[in-house]
Amino acid sequence: MSTETRKRPAYAHLFWWFMFANGGGLAALVLPVHILVQGILGPLRIVPVVDQHYDTWVSVLGNPIVKLYVLALVALSFFHFAHRLRYLLVDFGLHAAKSVPAQVIFYGGAVVVTLVTIWVLLTTAPITFG
Amino acid sequence: MRTPVQMSTPPAQRTYSWSMPSAWWTRKRHYLLYVVREFTALPMALWLLWLLYDIKRAGSGPAGFYPSRSVFFVIFSAVCLVFAMYHSYTFLKLAGVIIHVKVLDKPVPPRVIVFMMFGLLAVASIVIGAVLIGFAR
Repeated sequence: MSTETRKRPAYAHLFWWFMFANGGGLAALVLPVHILVQGILGPLRIVPVVDQHYDTWVSVLGNPIVKLYVLALVALSFFHFAHRLRYLLVDFGLHAAKSVPAQVIFYGGAVVVTLVTIWVLLTTAPITFG
Repeated sequence: MRTPVQMSTPPAQRTYSWSMPSAWWTRKRHYLLYVVREFTALPMALWLLWLLYDIKRAGSGPAGFYPSRSVFFVIFSAVCLVFAMYHSYTFLKLAGVIIHVKVLDKPVPPRVIVFMMFGLLAVASIVIGAVLIGFAR
């Protein structure tokens, strides 16, 4: 019998690093402008913004590309956030954050937020292609 | 003075347990910035949860919809923006270390990759800003 260890691709590792890296990258590229425009310039009425009026906001949210974009932004970002915050707790000496229950809580939380996002996007504005 | 029995018994093995000093992250500026970088996830997560809430409010119909214009929300967003920009700066700066690309069998220098990532940030900001403002009335 061969003692050679068979190497198997670490698919789970690949998946979590994919979610972490892409979530961090997407948040880095697009989140500042969302916060600036929707969180500061719009509320201060410096510029008109889509979410300041019901009809424009619903119209934009009905676009399937916008729905997919919001889903990707929230879901990927939350997997990134879950990973970072879990390891921040480890760095602060909370070794329980390395445990399986902690992983379930943090990454499970990201899954819950993803499911809530899907539900919100499907129940808020009907899909329109106009 | 040790007895012969004590001398022949090997000393009991003791496990050395090291624990991180509680305020380790305040000892060096580099440590503090590392913690701030990791902490950026929390305000960004909170702001995205607000975005979800903002989207959900649109489902309540025109009568129940009201735009967020409170001073508290603007201050909250300003704080989140600072953390989000720090996340962008630190994450995109790392791209030069993480991403390895070859063009014509020659590796692209890290500083070029970082420059391209910040260029991508500028383009994405302009496009998304144009959509958010351009589709408003």
